[in-house]
Amino acid sequence: MNVAKLLEKRRVQWSELERLCDSMEVRGRTDKSGFKHHRGAEGIARFSTLYRAACADLALADTYQLPPGTVTYLHRLVARAHNQLYRAGKFEPQSWATIIFETAPQQIFSDPCVRVATLVFFGLFSLAMYLGRNDSIIPGFADRMVGTEQLSQLEQAYETPLAASLDHYVSMSGFYIMHNTGIGLRCFAYGILLIPCLFSLAYNALALGTMFGYMARPDAVGGDNFFEFVTAHGPFELTAIALAAAAGLRIGLGLFYTAGLARIDSIRMNAMKAVPVMAASALLFTLAAFTEGFISPSPLPYVIKAVWSVFSSGLISFYFVVLGFPREANELASQLPAGDQPDAA
Amino acid sequence: MASPAALDTTIAVVTPENIAFDYQLAGPFRRLPAYLIDLGVRWGVIVLVIICLALAGLLASFSGFSSFVLATGFILYFLISWFYGTVLETYFNGRTIGKWACGIRVIDTDGRPISGKRALLRNLLRIADMLPLVGLSSFVTDAAPIFVPTGMIGLLAMILTRRMQRLGDLAAGTMVIVDERGWRLPVAKVDDPRVPALASFFPGDYRVSRSMAKALAIYAERRHYLTPARRREIARHLAIPLIDRFEFRADIDPDLLMYSLYYRVYLSDSSDEIADLGPLAGFSPLRRDQNKPQGLLGNIPNPISPTVKRPSFNPQLTQEAGVHAPDTTLLGKSIPLPQPAASQRSPDTKQELPRPEEQP
Repeated sequence: MNVAKLLEKRRVQWSELERLCDSMEVRGRTDKSGFKHHRGAEGIARFSTLYRAACADLALADTYQLPPGTVTYLHRLVARAHNQLYRAGKFEPQSWATIIFETAPQQIFSDPCVRVATLVFFGLFSLAMYLGRNDSIIPGFADRMVGTEQLSQLEQAYETPLAASLDHYVSMSGFYIMHNTGIGLRCFAYGILLIPCLFSLAYNALALGTMFGYMARPDAVGGDNFFEFVTAHGPFELTAIALAAAAGLRIGLGLFYTAGLARIDSIRMNAMKAVPVMAASALLFTLAAFTEGFISPSPLPYVIKAVWSVFSSGLISFYFVVLGFPREANELASQLPAGDQPDAA
Repeated sequence: MASPAALDTTIAVVTPENIAFDYQLAGPFRRLPAYLIDLGVRWGVIVLVIICLALAGLLASFSGFSSFVLATGFILYFLISWFYGTVLETYFNGRTIGKWACGIRVIDTDGRPISGKRALLRNLLRIADMLPLVGLSSFVTDAAPIFVPTGMIGLLAMILTRRMQRLGDLAAGTMVIVDERGWRLPVAKVDDPRVPALASFFPGDYRVSRSMAKALAIYAERRHYLTPARRREIARHLAIPLIDRFEFRADIDPDLLMYSLYYRVYLSDSSDEIADLGPLAGFSPLRRDQNKPQGLLGNIPNPISPTVKRPSFNPQLTQEAGVHAPDTTLLGKSIPLPQPAASQRSPDTKQELPRPEEQP
């Protein structure tokens, strides 16, 4: 058979496939192609049949010695149909619970990056707090670290006892979600470059620590109010920043700790691992924002805020340790024959 | 030393049907406009939301819900600015509004569509690709402390990677490809009656090689863009060995010979009846027949040779011959030929392209 006749024969199907693609691209379904037999399931079946036929034509193009122009046409037709047949996977909200309550804590528990980020953050935080508290060690540390103006603003803000109205709570929690989660996400994104992430983490640790230390000075104005304010949401928020940085560092670490993979593949694998940790961090940021919006500025007695703080710390510990304990390893170990058991933890 | 690889912007993808097809990758100059459009759309939506919320706030201020409106505003701003790309790419089959406008699409490096997790990763990491930030104050002395992202890191990553991926693409395992629109199946049509006539003089057992078939197809697709002299110049390289092999007359037009071979390989069918050759019947282009009487055309010179003059000779033929009548030549032969009437346009200046047939 000559090529012209072959093309003439196949073109009918190709143009039908093109029509189906046209209607799929607009609506995501085959109904609008104008043919009656393209409605519903029948249309989808017809589409996949035509797609497979076009694939076969492309595979045989070399054998048939099709002209290069026709081969290019077929490449595009197949690519176009491929994009319609295999569509983007939607989010699966039912899998989010698994990610948050199973994958993320286990990842956090086993990931050394979390330990590094936590150590860096809380270490620098404590150091800055110590230096900010005792002005005699490095004179003027707090002023140079945060800025004299900011410090006086901070003192002014907490001069009066906490007593905000409901209006204030709602709008402020919205603001905290936007602002603080934004900081966390930025920290995470910079992780792929490592240095900006570490810088961002260290800067936040030092600035926050200095403020805490400064307000803890006996002569600070409004120090009591400040600590009453930060008690409730502190555990959630500080952990969330450390976690976001840890997730970012996990990606960046893939650059040089490749575990035998090609560098780019290693980044990809590590990034996939980092997503659940980042999700957990975003959840903590949101919880912190609501606490910061509703509980922290409220005129509730200090005891309740302290109890909430202890409770949230306990919740985080439970999440990290109990949910995060390497359960799969144990299950796996019980299935393996004795002697083959991998090391616990 | 490793041999340098050619720069190539196509990438082969193997589908689950075990078919490899080519995608064209989208470079920075296609992606930047898409990003700018997205930026505009994003800010447009945010402004729209703020206006709507302000109106709602006016209504709500009486009932004391204005703080909820404010909180909604903050949260919507946060969601739109961080998750615009993620949501659109996931639910819009790998495209955002800007990508759709620029005709590009994100897919997996395996050629599969993008999943929500990958879309999330590549969109979150965009902010790292946008580094380093440049403060306006370094150009204008008393400018506000505004930092403009330069995108140098993403650009570098795109230049250095095979699939033109930025860092976010690398981490998510995605790539951006050109989503082509407006293409048609090219079908060459032969209108010149001398082509089938000449094609019938190739021996029946002659099979062209694969590379020759490809060369013929490319030549037939492009010959309409070339001047006749140029066509002959190009065709001569392949035509001369053929003329020697099949003992054609030496003054045969190389372009016509190549076109006939193309017809023979792609368009003719061995079972086809020989087309009605009209006045050309009995004419032989072979060298051994050069001195024999040539049937109906015996008294006129060779119709397949390139000629200079073209007086109107056989109006009946011209109507069928259409555009592919013989061309003028530089070979110096000045012989009358069966030619289009003077009223028809000259094939030398305007060659009609074989049109793709209209879609049914």
